[in-house]
Amino acid sequence: MDKTQLSAVLQLLKKYNLKGTEEILRKEANISDNLNVDSLNRDADVNSILKGYKSDGDPEAYEAAYTDLKKFVEYSLDIYKHELGAILFPVLVHMYLELVYNDHADKGIELMRKFGPEQDYYYQDDLRKLAMIVKKEHMNGNELAETFKSNQFVIRISRDTLSLLKRHLDEKKSSVLFNIIQDHLYFDTYEGVARNKSQIDATAGSLGGEISRYNKTKVYYGIPKGPDPITIAAPTEEDDGDGGGGDPDNPDKPKKKKAKKDPMFSKKTKSDPNAPPPDRIPAPEWKDNDKAEKFKACKEASKRVTLGPDCMPSCCCYTLLNANYTVCCAEITEDSSMLAVGFNDSILKVWTLVPQKLKAMKTAEQLEEVNIEAEDVLVRMMDERSGETSRTLCGHNGPVYSVSFSPDRTLLLSCSEDSTIRLWSLQIWTCLVVYKGHMFPIWDVKFSPLGYYFASASFDRTARLWATDHYQPLRLFAGHFSDVDCIQFHPNANYVATGSSDRRVCLWDCATGNRARIMTGHKSPIHSLAFSNDGRYLASGGADCKVLLWDLAHGHLVAEMTGHEKTIHCLAFSRCGNVLASGGLDCTLKIWDFSKLLEESNAEELNVSHNPDVKSGDSYLLRNFATKNSPLINLHFTRRNLLIAVALFDGGST
Amino acid sequence: MSKINECDLYGTNFSTESMKVIAESIGIGYLGDDAAKELAEDISFRVKHIIQDAAKFMNHAKRSKLLQTDIDSALKVKNIEPQYGFQSAEPLPFRFASGGGRELHFIEEKEVDLNDLLHNINPKAPLETTLRSHWLCIDGVQPTIPENPPPVAKVIQKLESVDPVKKKPLKETAGKPTTGKQKLKNIETVQIKQLATHELSVEQQVYYKEITEACVGSDEARRAEALQSLASDPGLHEMLPRMCTFIIEGVRVNVVQNNLALLIYLMRMVKALLDNQSLYLEKYLHELIPSVTTCIVSKQLCMRPELDNHWALRDFASRLMAQICKNFNTSTNNIQTRVTRMFTNALQQEKVALSSLYGALQGLSELGAEVIRIFILPRVKSIGQRIETNYLEGNLVSNMEKIASSNIKSLLIKVLAPVLKSIRSPPDNLEEYKQEFGYMGVSLHSAVVKARTQPTPATTGFTNNPITCSSTISRTVSTPSGIIQQQTSSGSRTIVMNTTPRAQMAQSNQKFVFVTQRPQTPMSSSHQIQQNAPAGQNTVVKFVSNTNQQPKLASQQKLVVVNSNQGNVQGQIAGSPGNTVLISKQNFVQQQQSPILDDLSQLV
Repeated sequence: MDKTQLSAVLQLLKKYNLKGTEEILRKEANISDNLNVDSLNRDADVNSILKGYKSDGDPEAYEAAYTDLKKFVEYSLDIYKHELGAILFPVLVHMYLELVYNDHADKGIELMRKFGPEQDYYYQDDLRKLAMIVKKEHMNGNELAETFKSNQFVIRISRDTLSLLKRHLDEKKSSVLFNIIQDHLYFDTYEGVARNKSQIDATAGSLGGEISRYNKTKVYYGIPKGPDPITIAAPTEEDDGDGGGGDPDNPDKPKKKKAKKDPMFSKKTKSDPNAPPPDRIPAPEWKDNDKAEKFKACKEASKRVTLGPDCMPSCCCYTLLNANYTVCCAEITEDSSMLAVGFNDSILKVWTLVPQKLKAMKTAEQLEEVNIEAEDVLVRMMDERSGETSRTLCGHNGPVYSVSFSPDRTLLLSCSEDSTIRLWSLQIWTCLVVYKGHMFPIWDVKFSPLGYYFASASFDRTARLWATDHYQPLRLFAGHFSDVDCIQFHPNANYVATGSSDRRVCLWDCATGNRARIMTGHKSPIHSLAFSNDGRYLASGGADCKVLLWDLAHGHLVAEMTGHEKTIHCLAFSRCGNVLASGGLDCTLKIWDFSKLLEESNAEELNVSHNPDVKSGDSYLLRNFATKNSPLINLHFTRRNLLIAVALFDGGST
Repeated sequence: MSKINECDLYGTNFSTESMKVIAESIGIGYLGDDAAKELAEDISFRVKHIIQDAAKFMNHAKRSKLLQTDIDSALKVKNIEPQYGFQSAEPLPFRFASGGGRELHFIEEKEVDLNDLLHNINPKAPLETTLRSHWLCIDGVQPTIPENPPPVAKVIQKLESVDPVKKKPLKETAGKPTTGKQKLKNIETVQIKQLATHELSVEQQVYYKEITEACVGSDEARRAEALQSLASDPGLHEMLPRMCTFIIEGVRVNVVQNNLALLIYLMRMVKALLDNQSLYLEKYLHELIPSVTTCIVSKQLCMRPELDNHWALRDFASRLMAQICKNFNTSTNNIQTRVTRMFTNALQQEKVALSSLYGALQGLSELGAEVIRIFILPRVKSIGQRIETNYLEGNLVSNMEKIASSNIKSLLIKVLAPVLKSIRSPPDNLEEYKQEFGYMGVSLHSAVVKARTQPTPATTGFTNNPITCSSTISRTVSTPSGIIQQQTSSGSRTIVMNTTPRAQMAQSNQKFVFVTQRPQTPMSSSHQIQQNAPAGQNTVVKFVSNTNQQPKLASQQKLVVVNSNQGNVQGQIAGSPGNTVLISKQNFVQQQQSPILDDLSQLV
């Protein structure tokens, strides 16, 4: 036992106030207080010593051990080769970190130079970041090094492959290798045939390995039965039914669920076994206004065009001019009447996309004159003369990275680099609340489809669930190894999905705060998420220029759609659920045939195959439209299935 | 640290020298090697970290360019005070300097005049962000409107002109329904070349009809609209062959009929097409240049030459020609050289009509000062003589000739005065002028003297940059006059244009020949096989097949159109004598081939 370890133990004893033991140990080990303090100062964190990379291993042994392992992988049988190959990267990384930690950085660099370039392409980014660390001190506080240090790298491996590996390790008795595999790798075993290279590649690439062991919990991905569309069609009836059948003490009536839900769809899912109980998440009160809104939505939806390969969507593109490098985000209301844009210079702008102007509420004195008994009180309270086509909201203190409208279009949320979320009123056009909680810039914020709740994603590696009337978050979703870049509510509002720079997509349960799914397969940070209308599938896109489609029932990767050339920033499912649109920095809009994809994936029996084949999406690409030097930042399908795109004209790059 | 490889990720650090320079700049006189090394390593690590974080801010602002504000935000996240005052209008504010064996990058700090700052209290406000909507696609088809990118990019249009088969797969991704059947299979290396027919949709046919009617119709407002459409519409490339045919056929007919108005309208169409940014016009130049040339140098362009202002048409067409030369001249197609030679040849003819002479002079003068100096100036005397005779024997010559003479005279004075002013030194001797320029001497002298007294010379007429001109001239001198060779053998005629050294030919891409004959030719089953230059990526043997379906615009498609992207052109046609009509349209100096150039043919 060396001194640092002893001092760590001493500190631990001190921490738990075990004075007696501490003194005895001190006496036995002949350690004076001074020395203790010294060594403690050098390595402040106890954990970093206990779980760190302290190793007596001969620095020369590492390369030999790695070469040996590589040889073993190469000479093993083809069916096991690729699964075994998956351990090479984590082993190399840990070897490097261990060497750097023990002041043999030159050896580590040599090792990396030799074997780094032959790692899979999706690990090269990590290796580049790792290359920054050439000193022990650098590891402290480095996101990547800490992730590797404090988390076991998960490798999915078949039982046969694992036993093969174990046998090899026993034979070789290489302590370096054995320790690394013992300490830093976790083998997630399964029964069955080992996977091939493409199967591994499809789900590999995330920071922390390929995780699927969380994906056993049941996810209520269905949409609970909403109000009957027939009663909705006659709003007065609905009103009566609500008053008669509803219990005033219980605000969470089933009928109040899913105000925004598509009535055409609800017919199909009347008895969806996968839907959560309606009162799983307390829902806000169902107001008259919401009913009228729902009625309008139903009427609109009946005029909807069903899209498909034979009926392609029309796309109206709103281009923001003079917006070079100043616009960060854009969002369109559910009924496509307003567009909100967040700017680099801390302001927000709201445009109206319909002939109705943006009106402000009357002043307090004028409001007293309004007859509150009147049917159209909501109209009367607005000042007719105040109509404008665009309005500016000022208040943030840094670039506005995301905006989100409430379902009733009276509220707007925005999040910014200044670590705050602001709630704005779209009736009096001022800021109502500032939510402070995140410590670092906030990348994304989204209103729940029910309203009332919202979720945020931040640089501080957490996502949080909030309610508009609470100034503190209700849930804190921690577990990502890197920034949480984007967040999206499940259509049934029971879950949120997050995409992160650790290249994982997670699904979190709002009711419990637990992680319900972890899905790996992206090779770069994720910037966009979209749920399918039936709630079962999740599409994600990011800097790796791929759109990945996940089945939430099992957490499987269903398809991988490639074609974009730059970061994908927006995804949208059509209202009919047949078509998926994606757009990004490469100035193109791509339309994918989602219904065909579903048909083909449903044809295969998902449950039988343990590792379903990932479909390549190229055959599902229906159309590709280019814009004129205008990166797309938002996509939205109107209730009638007209596609609206928001683009930034980049005049500088012509 | 020893020698660091720039491309190496590991241990890419600032040099210790940089550290020492920076230390010096903030007043630390001596920085030890160890300290510098330690600092360099630490600072490199921190800077890399900051850049890594700054990239996150860039990504979330949906940009692909890192800005100073991103660095500031990254610093803020690390709880470091941002570096204020580094906002820069330029993308890279660094200047480079070297000297004394040291290389240095520095930021230029300009002195700011406080007075300027105080007086400009209101700096220019940034433009407000505005919203504009357009249809990106309608029912899955992208409309060709200026807001959308051209359906086929210029690069692809160019490629298409070289190899039409390549067009098919590209078309599929361009927002049109996939049919799949058009995919041609590559069987070994032999491809059967299909004739690339440009089928026009009904809408396009209507558009074509409307546009052409409007362009030559009597309604000036409609014409302006139509020309505007031609000049700005991005989706015209499919109709371009038709448009060009319309223009050349129009010129052909109207020159014979001396319909000045229509010729002007047609030239305006050419102008509109030239102005359209999204069109790849190069492959139609061989058709357009002869037509434009006709409008410059034709002997007669109107019914009443003594009354109508056909001079304006010649001026306008000359400007068009200059624009063509400016836009499309490359070192391989030598358009400007060839145009210059053509006009110069006309000048040298003794019996050329005065109107043609005027056109040739105008055409040359639009090509720039250098061209004027070399090609017009030496001939001023002889031209002067000719004009003089007209004036002297005033009774004998027609009124028309008189007008022509005075026009030529004023043209010469207008274009020569600025040139003479710049090449001659101030004491202008009248006698010298008389001696050198003969009849024109007196007028030129007074014009030059007048020009000297005016502070700003009028040089607006020169569209070309003198530097390009001089390079052209030197080429003109160096290349032998046999740029166009015509070999007539018993059965076949080969037109080899623009002969360039063999080595250059080997470099360029393959050259393809597409031949379709008129249906009456007995060659329908005969094939011509052409082997390609060895440097091509794959040797492609081409069967140039004939289709009996006569396309609507037969005159358009019977031609040999050869174009490689280097502009290196070789056309070769074999056929039985008499039956094959050979027109290499690029060979626009071959006037005897086309009847419209009757007037011009006299010039050669």
